[in-house]
This record gives sequence, structure tokens and C-alpha cells, in this order.
Amino acid sequence: MAFMTYRKLKMHFMEHWVKIVVGITIVILIILSIWGLASLESFYRHLTIAQMPISILLAGLNAGIFVFMYMIFLQGGFSKIRQTTVKGQNVNIHWQDVIGMEEAKQEALEVVQLIKDRTKLLKIGGKILRGLLMVGPPGCGKTYLAKAIATEAGIPFISMSGSEFTEIFVGVGAARVRKLFKKARTLAYGNGAAIIFIDELDAIGRQRSFSFMGGGQETNSTQNQLLVEMDGLQEKDYNVIIIGATNAAEGVLDEALLRPGRFDRKIYIDRPNLQEREKIFEYYLKKIKYVPDIDIGRLARQAVHKSPAEIENMIKEAALIATRNKKEIVGHKELSEAMERIDMGMKHRKQMTKEEKEMVAFHETGHLVVMYILHPTDDVFKASIISRKEALGVVHAQPREELYTHNRERILADIKVKIGGYVAEKMRFGTTSDGVSSDFRGAMWFAHNMVWKIGMGDSGYIGDYTVIPESQLSETVKEKLNAETNKIMQDCLKDVESLLKKEWPLVERFVKELLEKEELEYDDIEAIFREYGKSHNFKKPE
Amino acid sequence: MSGSPLKYSIPAIFLILACLAGCDNKPTYPAARLEESILKLCKNEYNLDNVKVKIIGSSLGVYIPVEGLIDPDMKLNQKAGEKIENTALSIHRVTTSTDMPLKFYVLTARDTKTPGAEFMLTGFVYDVVRVRLFDISRGEYFQRILRDFRFNPSIAGEQKVKELFGALNQDPAIADSIKQVLYPIYAVGKAGTQKINITSMESKDLSDHESLIYVKTIEEYEPAPGFEAHAAIFPSGFVNEYLFLIDMSLLISPVKEIVSKYFYSNNEIRQRNIKDTFEGYKDLGIVGSDGFPKKELELGWFLGQQIARRIKPLFENDSKLKDKLKIASSGGEIKDSVFRFKFSAAPAANPSVDKNIIFSRIIKMTADVLHSYTFDGYEGAEFMDTAEGGKKIYLSKEELENFRKNKITLDSLEFQ
Repeated sequence: MAFMTYRKLKMHFMEHWVKIVVGITIVILIILSIWGLASLESFYRHLTIAQMPISILLAGLNAGIFVFMYMIFLQGGFSKIRQTTVKGQNVNIHWQDVIGMEEAKQEALEVVQLIKDRTKLLKIGGKILRGLLMVGPPGCGKTYLAKAIATEAGIPFISMSGSEFTEIFVGVGAARVRKLFKKARTLAYGNGAAIIFIDELDAIGRQRSFSFMGGGQETNSTQNQLLVEMDGLQEKDYNVIIIGATNAAEGVLDEALLRPGRFDRKIYIDRPNLQEREKIFEYYLKKIKYVPDIDIGRLARQAVHKSPAEIENMIKEAALIATRNKKEIVGHKELSEAMERIDMGMKHRKQMTKEEKEMVAFHETGHLVVMYILHPTDDVFKASIISRKEALGVVHAQPREELYTHNRERILADIKVKIGGYVAEKMRFGTTSDGVSSDFRGAMWFAHNMVWKIGMGDSGYIGDYTVIPESQLSETVKEKLNAETNKIMQDCLKDVESLLKKEWPLVERFVKELLEKEELEYDDIEAIFREYGKSHNFKKPE
Repeated sequence: MSGSPLKYSIPAIFLILACLAGCDNKPTYPAARLEESILKLCKNEYNLDNVKVKIIGSSLGVYIPVEGLIDPDMKLNQKAGEKIENTALSIHRVTTSTDMPLKFYVLTARDTKTPGAEFMLTGFVYDVVRVRLFDISRGEYFQRILRDFRFNPSIAGEQKVKELFGALNQDPAIADSIKQVLYPIYAVGKAGTQKINITSMESKDLSDHESLIYVKTIEEYEPAPGFEAHAAIFPSGFVNEYLFLIDMSLLISPVKEIVSKYFYSNNEIRQRNIKDTFEGYKDLGIVGSDGFPKKELELGWFLGQQIARRIKPLFENDSKLKDKLKIASSGGEIKDSVFRFKFSAAPAANPSVDKNIIFSRIIKMTADVLHSYTFDGYEGAEFMDTAEGGKKIYLSKEELENFRKNKITLDSLEFQ
């Protein structure tokens, strides 16, 4: 106990020795000043003390001006490095707060145990954990998980962003790395361990480039210093764990950084699955007042591929909308509007002619009907002819479940959905608009990839022809592949034409509804299809 | 985590100020030990012995004896000057760091070799504070101090009286010349038997050069033949009294008048009430024979003296007027709440100097000085040019203030 107290005191001295020395000096100077003043005759003592307030103010002003000038002219403004050091228990993010990443959580828990049982691990000759790399898309809770690790392990936590190391001057980044590790070692000395969390690690961890022109030298030297410091830890035997977070692909980071002994462990933090999303919705909805009949399952389905941060944002946005609408409780409408704003952007009604509006309605209905009847995986949540961003209308669909692959049927359905707008316009008006441009781009991209890259054509050509230099591809092959691409497009067109011809009354009904209501929600859409005896073409999950 | 630096620095600054304020509540030279403090300071820091201190109301009197105040060339002796300077410095230090409400200080340095020769420094304590705070310039401060280098009329007079009685006892020839005055022993005594011993002496300054000395004596004699009967009236060893009027400006015979208690008139011996006559005169002197102020000084008197002394340099320092006129003399006093300033301004070379300029300058200076002291214990001021047959002008307090603010000029005022 006494030993630990001694170490803690020593640590505090090591960490704050400048402050301590300055503090003691100030105290000594104050004592000397008081002593000196006391030895003055009372007239001069009064005089000196009377002048003191203004002297202090002037000294403060001078110091302020000096610091300002110093920062402006010598330190490149006020962008000086600011390390955020907090004690583990002050981070105050617990395991139960970490939701929607069960697997990552389990792995992190193991890390916490390793940090806690370091002595035990050393005894049995186990390898001490040095670094932990968290990889995953943005907003999935990497920082959150790192904080939870700090809280659970109960050790100090220094947080820095990778970009804070980058500077125009060569050597500044490396110096900052040295300073950061020095501080962490001091904290580890007094607290048993410390965590350094480097967010956006790719800013300094990218593969080093070696150019005879000297480009990238600063990043290289920063990274070299990081590598040295991470190795240095083992020699000095300080229990400092580095947690790096990046949303860059693993290949982007330098190999030296990823080798065992540096970032020994990698945790992949992906977007949440359906069950996780449900938990996330539950967690964030608890923080606001909402109508009890909200279907969290449907919200979770609707939020496929959404990160926890996006879901949190969605709930906050819904609360804001409710406040703006002077409601005390968040309902379906607010949640739907929030999701729509995030996915599709803000509505901004454009003044359109009746004909234009009708054409947009037919176009969107084309997408909607083809999607609902032909698409094997996606569900339609909304159809609208209110303009958003550049689009004059939108059909919002989401896969019913997480699907990480696209099969031939799904891709063909995607092409057909995209062509649906064109066909509906043509069938109704005998002509088409330039609104099909982005649809065709998407459809063609799919068809082209099917044939050229993923062997889904009927001509017998399989393989990725895009890897072959164009000059080495024969004109015959090109022609055949392009013909195959065109064939897919034509086949899809025919299918869509025959579908819409067959379901034309349904199309007209949707157009009528859209022109009247401008927007159709999930339930409205479902009701109309059921009225016409139509159902999804979903493939049952295996 | 890091917290705002202000969170700690502001309380720290207040703490420091509180500590400093805490150590500030005691005067260095408390009133109870003021005299002792000056003596210690003079002794320990300036090695000055024989300093004497006396407090009269709000005036501090400090006396130092010096050996050889004046050099043969009539300048202040260097060593004496250093002593005076160091004593004045001690006075300044003590008066500015004490809790005693002192207003004036009078430093008297008296020559031990030349009786009556003295140097006096009279100052207002608040002026010392102001010059130390740079509220007034050193030049202005020096103009505010009264410096007198003179023969003290009382001291010199008393010395003259002692010398006279000494000579009487030693030289009967001198006694014969004044035997009619020093009645009765030289009139009825046998020659050579007379002896006069001074038992007490009191003096009063009647002006800056005249003094009135009251002397009490014990006189011994043997009656001359034919005057034995007088022994019954004036037995040997009887007490006599005299009044001497001494004028030190009369270098050859400064004893202007001697009045004896007893005198012979119309065939009979008569006597006067000498003591009452002496008491009837007003003492105009500031410093007594002990070297201390005779009474508490007043700001009105001090300002009257100061303004009068400023008149001469006012013109001497004026590059346009210094060659054109000369102030022969100037004086000032406050009487019945009215300042009275007299001066004698004579044209030096060019007789066409407008006398109004002289009055105007003096009035302006007076108003400025009175304003700078925020003195309002007066009703008005009278200015008289004795060289112009007593041409004078009177300004009330309000008129003086308006004159200072240039709201009125001399043209709007009437000369008497």
C-alpha cells in the first residue's frame, strides 16, 4: 500500500514536475515578496500594495499579449496538441452501454481481462497484449468500445486523433508521439496501466511511402516513432495498451504496424445486424418519450445497414421534429420523417406542371410496382413524388434482411426496378423524360458487371474481363460481351413491359393515389397491393 | 479534467492580496514611539547625535545643534548641510509612515558657535507624501518648503543682554555710561561694588530682527556715601527687572532701549510694572529659544508665508519680465481670515512695464496655490504694492477662484 502510494506520488511528480517546480517557485517568491514588503516602511508598503491590483492586471494583459503573439507567430496558431487524459472511472461508459456489437464486445472483454490479469499472464509465460486495432465503418462505436474498455479496466485513458500528429513541420508529429507515450508511461507507472487511444489511426498508419523527393517524410517519421515507441514498451515493461481505431481497410495500414507485438489483436466492428439494431433502437428510444405501439422490429428492418450512430441520430432527429411540431411524444410520423430525412434528404417542393407531376408519378409507380412484385429481397417502405435533393420523386426500399451477396435474380430484379420508371413513362405517354438517366446508369452498370465481371451472362463467357487490358481483348469478345449486356437489358425491358401491361390498373391506381397524397407510406402501399391481390415475390430464407 | 486556469488563478490572486493586506495594518513609526523613532533613525542610520524632538499639537519640532552653520563666505557649511539633509530625510520617512496625524514639521539647525544663527525648514507633511507619489514635481515641492537662514532675534537679543551685563560687571566705564538707565545700583552704589546676576530671562520676537527681552536680576552693591538710606529700600541682593529692546539690524549698537523697573523722577523713586508690559507684547516668532515651535502651526500662516516667498521667484524665473522689473521685498500674513500680501515691485530698466501684469501674476499664483491646497479657511486676499504708494487690491475667495479660472480679469476689479 505504502509502496503504491510512493509510486503514485512519484508518478504525480514525474507527470507534473514542471507545475510543481513553478508552483513552489511562485510560493517562495510570494513569501519573499511578503517578507520584503513587511520590511518596507508603511508608506512604501501602502504604495506598493495599492499599485498591486493594477500591476497584476497589467502583468496578465502583457502575458496574454505575449502568449497570443507566441501562438500566432511561433506555434502556427492555437492548434497546439491537446491530449485528453481522463481516469478510467471518469470515462463512465460501461459494458451495458455498449450495445449492437456483441461479438466485438466479447473480444474487448477478453482484452480487459488481459489488462487486469497481466501478472497472472506473465507468470504462466503468456504474451502480453500491446495493441488492439479496431476496424470498421464509421459510427459503429469504436471509440465507444475503447472508452468502455478504459472504464472496465479502471485505468487512465489518453485519447488522441491521428490527425493531431500531422504537421507541416517534419519532426513535430514524431515529437508528439514521444510526448504521448512518455505521458502514458508515467500514468502507467502510477496506476498500473494506461490506455492510449488513437482514433483515425490511418492518418499516421498508412503504408509508408519512400520518395526521393522527400514527400511523405513527416508521416513516415511519425509512424516510425510510433513503431519505435510500441516496441519500446516491451523493453521498459510498462503496461501501456494502444488502441487504434480506423475505418480504412486493413490493407491501407502499414504492415509493420500490424505485425504481432504491435497491434496484436484486431476487432472488426461492423454495422449491426437486425437483432442488434433492435437493441439499439430500444436503447435510444428509452431515452425519449415515444408512443408505445411503435414496431421496433419494423424500424430495425427499415434501418438495414445503418450504423448505431445513424440510428441514434435518427431518434434524435425524430425528437427534434416532435418538438418542432409541438408534440410531447415521438410517434410513427416523426420517426418515419426522421428516417426519410437521413436517407433521402429534406423535402423541398418544386413547382411542377400537372403533366410533369403526372409523369413523375408514373415513373415512380413503375419502380414501385416492379419492386414489389418482382424483387426477391427488397421491401418498399415509401413512395413519394415530393422532390428531394436532385430527385423529383423517390421509392424507398430496403432489403428485408442483411444480405452480403447479390445473386443473379436479385441483380436482374434491380435492373428491372430501375427500368420500371422508363417503361411506365413510355407506356402512358408514348415518350420518356431525362429522369431515367440515373436509372439507366445504374441498370447498365449492373448488366455490364454481370457480363464482364461476374460471369452471369448466357454466352458462355465467364471471368472478369475488366482485368484484361483493353488492347488485349479481341473485338469479337468485346462485341459478344456487349451484345450479352444489351440482351440482359432487353430481356429485362420485355419482362417489365409485360408486367406493367398486365398490372396497368394497379399502376393507374398508384398514380392516382400519389397525385392525391404525394406520399404513400408502407401501410398504404401494402393495403393497395393486397386490394389487388398482389404479394411480394420474396424468397424464403433458408 | 484540466479545468480552467482562471478557476485557480483568481482565488490565488485574491489570497495573495489578502496576505499582503494582512501584513499592512501597522505603521512603521507608531504615534506612541514617534519621538523615539526619529532619534533612533537619526542615530542609527545617519549617526546624528544631540537631536531633540518635540510634538506641539499637529506640528513636529526637531532641533539639531551644528558646529559652524555658516562659512566665512556666508554660505551654508557643507557638513552642516549634510546633517540638515539627513535629519530632514528622517523626518520625511517618519512623518509619512506614522499613524500620528501630523500636519507640519519644523527643523531647526542652530549654530553652536554663532549664537542666534539658525537654519529653519518648515514643511507641510502632505506635500512630502505628494512629492513621493509624484503627484507634485520636486521643483514645486521645493517652492512649498519655507527655508529661513537667519539670526534668531530672541537668541541674539538674549546673547546681547548677557554680554551687556557681563561687560557691566567687568568694565565700570561702560556701567557709568548707562548708570542712569540701570537704576538704582549705579546711581546709589559705591563704584566698583556693584554686581548684577541674571536669574531669569524671557524673550519675544517683535519682528524678524527685533526682540524684547525681559530680565530678572539679583543686584548687590554697597551704598555710596550719602546714599546709605537707600539700603533700606534696596538692600544688597534685591531683585530687579529690566526690559531690553534689541534690534539686530543695528549692527553697531543693537540695544535700542533699556527700561528698568525702578526709576527716579520728580525727586522720588518710582517703579513700573515691567512684567505686565512684557506680557502685553505679542510674540511673532515661530521658534523659541529651545529650537522648537512656540505653538502649533496653522495652514493659513504657512500659506501666507509660502505665497509671499513665491512672489520674487515668480518674476525672476519669467524670461520676459526678469530684466524689466525687480521685486525688492515681499511679505505675507493672514489676519482676521484675510491674506495680506505686500511687495515692492520696481521697474528695473524699462519704466513702461504695466503694473497690472505684476498684480495679475501674483493674484493668479496665489489663487493656484490656495486651490492646490484646497484651503478655504479665508475670506479673501489683499495685495499691496508698497512701491506704488500703497496701491492695493482686494479679492474675495470667490473672485480669486474666478480669477484662477480666467472668468474675470484685473480690469473688472477695482484698485483701492
